[in-house]
Amino acid sequence: MKVSAYTGKDNYFEDFVPGIVMRHARGKTVEAIENVILTNLVMNTAEGHFNEEAMRDTPFKHRITFGGITASLVIGLASQDTGENALAELGLNKIRFKAPVLHGDTLHAYTEVVSVKDADRADAGIVLFRHWGVNQHNKIVFEGERTVLVKRRSHWGDK
Amino acid sequence: MEHDFIKRAVPRPKCNYYEDFEPGRVFEHHWGRTLNEGDNSLYTTLTMFFNPLYFNAEFAKAHGHAGVLINPYLVFTTVFGLSVQDLSESGGAFLGVEDLEFGVPVYPGDTLTARSTVVDRRESSTHANMGIATWHTQGFNQRGEKVVDFKRTNMIAKKGARP
Repeated sequence: MKVSAYTGKDNYFEDFVPGIVMRHARGKTVEAIENVILTNLVMNTAEGHFNEEAMRDTPFKHRITFGGITASLVIGLASQDTGENALAELGLNKIRFKAPVLHGDTLHAYTEVVSVKDADRADAGIVLFRHWGVNQHNKIVFEGERTVLVKRRSHWGDK
Repeated sequence: MEHDFIKRAVPRPKCNYYEDFEPGRVFEHHWGRTLNEGDNSLYTTLTMFFNPLYFNAEFAKAHGHAGVLINPYLVFTTVFGLSVQDLSESGGAFLGVEDLEFGVPVYPGDTLTARSTVVDRRESSTHANMGIATWHTQGFNQRGEKVVDFKRTNMIAKKGARP
């Protein structure tokens, strides 16, 4: 299998210059399909994510999206540009949930390349990204840092 | 409408409160979870995580893996999910995560378990009936190898704050 044929050509380690900010293609409207199915799939038992009645008398009025799903959706929206040519997801840091995400809200993702460094293998490098997730009012709902081991074009790109 | 069984029913609550989180206390979380290919496909496609390592077995094999890997964000949220009844089910905002590191790769068929230690707690300056707790949560596979490690901070209700 020629693996480079299956992924993009503009998102190798060499392409990530600190300071670049990206607005990722595609937004996603969060509904019960995302929040309730995935919250239940991972067996998060906090009913504020899946019991509409339990939330009626709270300040939120409605079920709120599990932050782990919000984080996964924002990173997912950013994934094609920042993780399609990754060998591994290494970690997250400084994750903050700044506003609740309700069913019907639409998320978009933005990413800044913070820094890059060599890895302990020659064919890949480590990139530190800062991600933001915003809703349809451009209000920040999620922000945080993510570290990824990304393939070098010199080793993995089209020859 | 007041049915007899509702009048006789005894509540079976399922959570801990701020007062329960003595720093240093360890929780071995319930259930465990074997992650299968269906879990992984559903999670990866609904979150649109576009790296073929997580949905193309031949691509994953060409990178030295036996087949597709489980999406690391499914690993994170599953370990998190297993911890919720012990830690945060009483309610309160999920504030953030620090120092999350992924460990060994997870493959379909692997079984995850979770453990947490209370790191710290403090009163909320804005909500008299709430506190803020930080836990160190670790996830392991069936061989005891670490798959994820993170610190999570939540608002937590005090006892009596909710009916």
